[in-house]
Amino acid sequence: MSLRARLLKWLVIPLVLLNLLAAGIAYWLAWIPAQSALDQSLADAAWALVPHVQESGDSVQLQLSKQAEQVLRVDHFDQVFFVVRDMEGTTVAGDADFPELRIPEQMNVFVAYLSEMRGEQVRAITLLTEVDGEMILIGVAETRIKRQQIRLRILWALLGVELLLLLIVVAVIWLVLDKGFLPLRAILDDLARRRAEDLSPLPTRDAPQEIAPFLVAMNDLLQRAQRNARAKQDFLANVAHQLRTPLAGFRAQLEWLQAHHRQDDDTAHSTALMLASTDRMVRQANQLLALARSEPGGSGRGQREILQLDQLVSESVQQFVRQALKKDIDIGFDLQPTEIVGDRFLLRDLLDNLVDNAIRYTAAGGVVNVGCLTENGQGVLKVEDNGPGIPDSEKDKVFTRFYRLDQTQSGSGLGLAIVRDIASDHGASIEVGQGANGHGTVFWVRFPAAVQQQAV
Amino acid sequence: MHVLLVEDDLVLADGVARILREEGVVVDVVHSGEDADRALAMRELSVAVLDIGLPGIDGFEVVRRLRARGSNMPVLLLTARDEVQDRVRGLEIGADDYLVKPFAAPELVARLKALVRRSNPRSTDLRISGLHLDSQSRRASVDGQTIELSAREWAVLEYLVQNASRVVSKQQIIDAILPWGEELTLNAVEVYVSRLRAKIASAGIVIKTIRGFGYLLEPGVA
Repeated sequence: MSLRARLLKWLVIPLVLLNLLAAGIAYWLAWIPAQSALDQSLADAAWALVPHVQESGDSVQLQLSKQAEQVLRVDHFDQVFFVVRDMEGTTVAGDADFPELRIPEQMNVFVAYLSEMRGEQVRAITLLTEVDGEMILIGVAETRIKRQQIRLRILWALLGVELLLLLIVVAVIWLVLDKGFLPLRAILDDLARRRAEDLSPLPTRDAPQEIAPFLVAMNDLLQRAQRNARAKQDFLANVAHQLRTPLAGFRAQLEWLQAHHRQDDDTAHSTALMLASTDRMVRQANQLLALARSEPGGSGRGQREILQLDQLVSESVQQFVRQALKKDIDIGFDLQPTEIVGDRFLLRDLLDNLVDNAIRYTAAGGVVNVGCLTENGQGVLKVEDNGPGIPDSEKDKVFTRFYRLDQTQSGSGLGLAIVRDIASDHGASIEVGQGANGHGTVFWVRFPAAVQQQAV
Repeated sequence: MHVLLVEDDLVLADGVARILREEGVVVDVVHSGEDADRALAMRELSVAVLDIGLPGIDGFEVVRRLRARGSNMPVLLLTARDEVQDRVRGLEIGADDYLVKPFAAPELVARLKALVRRSNPRSTDLRISGLHLDSQSRRASVDGQTIELSAREWAVLEYLVQNASRVVSKQQIIDAILPWGEELTLNAVEVYVSRLRAKIASAGIVIKTIRGFGYLLEPGVA
């Protein structure tokens, strides 16, 4: 059950009870004056009879014309009854079957009560008054149709009002809860937006008091996860480093063997294969290192400094050309003076991976171009090949770890993931496009303007 | 050329030593920092190839002691860790170059030759495939036949041969052949190279153009 539903349930049940109580009170507050007004009109009828009662001899009589009686008895809804009795209870005039009269405690103050007449519930009043020195009792009663109608009307009106109030209150609570959950939602959004490797702590500033302990616990957990991740990275980096010396030895021996047995085709073939394998292992080890380095907080990071991107490319030219020539790929450069801010080693990893990728996925005889330039103050690195290209549908996926477009090519599926990690670490954007003549691939890496970065 | 190779990994030491010997280099191999220090204290060699991560005293310390004795012998450091601190520290204490394992043999050879030439610029007699450069008399010959070269052409060819199997940029060529700040355009370099190609066509050497960058001279299938 959602927290909102729970809170709503616990709020709505007492609210409904409270509303019912309020409705009850309101009902009585509305009904009592209505009741007394109606009683008063019965009493008025009794008072209207008083002038018509006269003393004659030792008895009292009611002198009431037919019309007057008609007026008295007419009511749109109810039947009206009346009676005039002396103190002995003898009926002087009116309805003889009028139930026994309740005697008020005071003169000239009526008493109202429920009674029964002709099989129906009636509301009755009794008035005690004095006519010419003689005490008489006047009773007036009416059936309760009008009263029931008024009661029902009050009840319905109240129910409507209460229901409306309840709905408004629920809506208000809903909105308030929404507002109250905003900090939680912000945390969720923060977590949802993160990349898988991002284990940085959640912001605890401005967090509501109730959520703060949760955030602290969460950050503690994240910190532990981060420590683990870092230990894993260090381990990876260590393994990669440890691998390098034996690989170097292996490679040196193979190179010697290859040089020495150039004439023997079979041996040359075999050593060439072994060298290719060794190079693959070397590359994998380097990839592991680059991966460990590229992750946030990765080991072996250098410092941010102003760098000449063109110079950075130049430093790797030997390696690029060797790789390209081995595959008979025509590699070209267009290096304009380009200033960026970054970590030399991470950027070398980025560059190596992009160029290696271009050479790897371009067929023998293909063309690879590496360029850099400044565009609107931004340093731009451009790596272009005329290989098979990347279909539009795959353009986002190629940056995913272990994703490989062409399963037949050897590769770790890490290269472009490393490129993406390093680029985002530098605030750089990557764009993947189509090569010059509609085939091949171009990667543009756009770095934030160096001047702005320095100012920050 | 006489090289001291200091590397504690026996397989790598053996492999590098063989490759260097193949190039006609005399190689002494030791496997620890102490031995390296002793060997370097005893006699001056052309160049030292020194692993940083040695047991006992490490490569940095060996270089520090070497420099403390006032030696200018060129040193190339080998490392399994390509990290800023290592590189900066290595160059600070007086190493001349730096190579990350695993490396390609031609790269190591080329760098060693460059280091030796830098430390001893006078005595070179360069030979590659059928091409022979005599620095003393500034004469070049292909298969024994002297070829006519202008002074600029000779300088460009010498630089390319000195950096054989390595990519050199046009700017590097200009900087190398014009040490006194004379003006030379990148286009001029292109002209020299195309003339050189024609002149040494039969030497079994190719000068590859690296588009937008420079040249790579290597012994090749002519």
